[in-house]
Amino acid sequence: MTQTRNLIDANGKRTDGRGIDELREVKITVGSVKNADGSAFIEFGKNKILAAVYGPREVHPKHMAQSDRCVLRCRYHMSPFSTDTRKSPAPSRREVEISKVMRESLEPALILEDYPRAAIDVFVEVLQSDGGSRCAGITAAAVALADAGINMRDLVAACAAGKVDEKIVLDINDTEDKEGGADMPVAYMPRMEQVTLLQLDGRLTPEQFNECIDKAIGGCKMVYEIQKQALMQKYFGNETELKEEVQ
Amino acid sequence: MHDIKRRYVIPGDKIAEGNFRPLMNVIKAGNSLIATRIGIAETGRDGVKVIPLSGVYIPRVNDLVIGKVVDHSSLSWEVDISSCFSAHLPAQDVFGRDFSPARDDMTRHFAVGDMITARIMAFDRTRDPMLTVQDRDLGKIPRGEALKISATRVPRLIGKRGSMIQTIEQATQTRVLIGQNGIVVVTGRTPEGIKLAVRAIKMVEEEAHTANLTQRIKVLLNVPDTPQETSRAPVGSAPKSEQVESTIDEVEEELEVEGEK
Repeated sequence: MTQTRNLIDANGKRTDGRGIDELREVKITVGSVKNADGSAFIEFGKNKILAAVYGPREVHPKHMAQSDRCVLRCRYHMSPFSTDTRKSPAPSRREVEISKVMRESLEPALILEDYPRAAIDVFVEVLQSDGGSRCAGITAAAVALADAGINMRDLVAACAAGKVDEKIVLDINDTEDKEGGADMPVAYMPRMEQVTLLQLDGRLTPEQFNECIDKAIGGCKMVYEIQKQALMQKYFGNETELKEEVQ
Repeated sequence: MHDIKRRYVIPGDKIAEGNFRPLMNVIKAGNSLIATRIGIAETGRDGVKVIPLSGVYIPRVNDLVIGKVVDHSSLSWEVDISSCFSAHLPAQDVFGRDFSPARDDMTRHFAVGDMITARIMAFDRTRDPMLTVQDRDLGKIPRGEALKISATRVPRLIGKRGSMIQTIEQATQTRVLIGQNGIVVVTGRTPEGIKLAVRAIKMVEEEAHTANLTQRIKVLLNVPDTPQETSRAPVGSAPKSEQVESTIDEVEEELEVEGEK
């Protein structure tokens, strides 16, 4: 990847006016798909992504069912209108890959053994894409899974970090992804302190790698707070504490 | 007197630390107890549990469910209980031990499309739920309007000691049959009454998490307020507590309520 222009200006601001440690604006709405068992809509910068969860439900085709655990199936899909040039609606190599890594990043958080012989379907539909749509998709899918009432050990929050102008920055956007030096999406379970997704596109020195992963995990923790807030808002309104009472 | 500590939790939240027993929707990680669902966590003497606020119906042994007969083989009926597993009602349960597929006509009892109330006799990780209709008030539902609500709203629809459902039944002159899988069947003399009851039930489902719901249901149904009721849910009292109490009490009490009908 060769860089053609400066992505960080003299004041340390990035192309979209953010500082190097700043997240794009994140907004999560829970329960936006009524027909699904659980759903979430996330706006992660310019990303607009809808996640819907169905299940646990019967497995079709039946031979896919596992006798000791639930099958988790993920589908990441970009709408034809999500990019500036039309994207073919057929699943591309990239979408198949993201569907797979998304499943693998959500699996450790779910207690799939609780639903043997069933399936959970996760649909992630990108309506408008910007950089970091897989992270936003995982974040939304985790919230949708919690909304669907599936037993989970922890939520999964995801955020990318990367290298732009030889500096490690948080939450890479589309321009930085295309023109910058490296992009590292990370999914993280905040309570268990475990990384469930780690990809890297680009080159980093070992020091840069460590800085990058630390920064990404920091970003995940910020995203986690937003996820938590969104879920609390849906189920408990503005009340966060239950008044204690003695019976 | 025993203390029960309650709080709102989402998956991954730490409820308590120490030597507690994880009861329902709680896992133990090291020394801490972690919620696995969105809901209300309850720390009591016997352990820690989370009363879930969302989720599909997962069958449990002894649950009373309402289902629809979708198919039958020569030995059993297949019943849709709106869960991820389809239930089976063995023909021997209806015809007795000496059931013979050659002699007995299964469609005489239940035809495809019939709605039935049944109890879950057996269910575990390895097999689909098995039903029984061998109990009082179980069996075919001859008439009525069926609707589906979320299984997590069932305790709320029944209310404290059946208060909510009794209010609806009395005001609309209907009988409401509730399965723990969230299927509700309303029967009544007049179509207007049934329509009104259905509206009330849908309102309970949609607004289950709000305070003073019984009050608003009464407004919808034009029921005059009794002083006893107002003292139970005074306006402006701890808003969420009403729901919390009914949710917790009625999970256990529901079977009794159903049995009384």
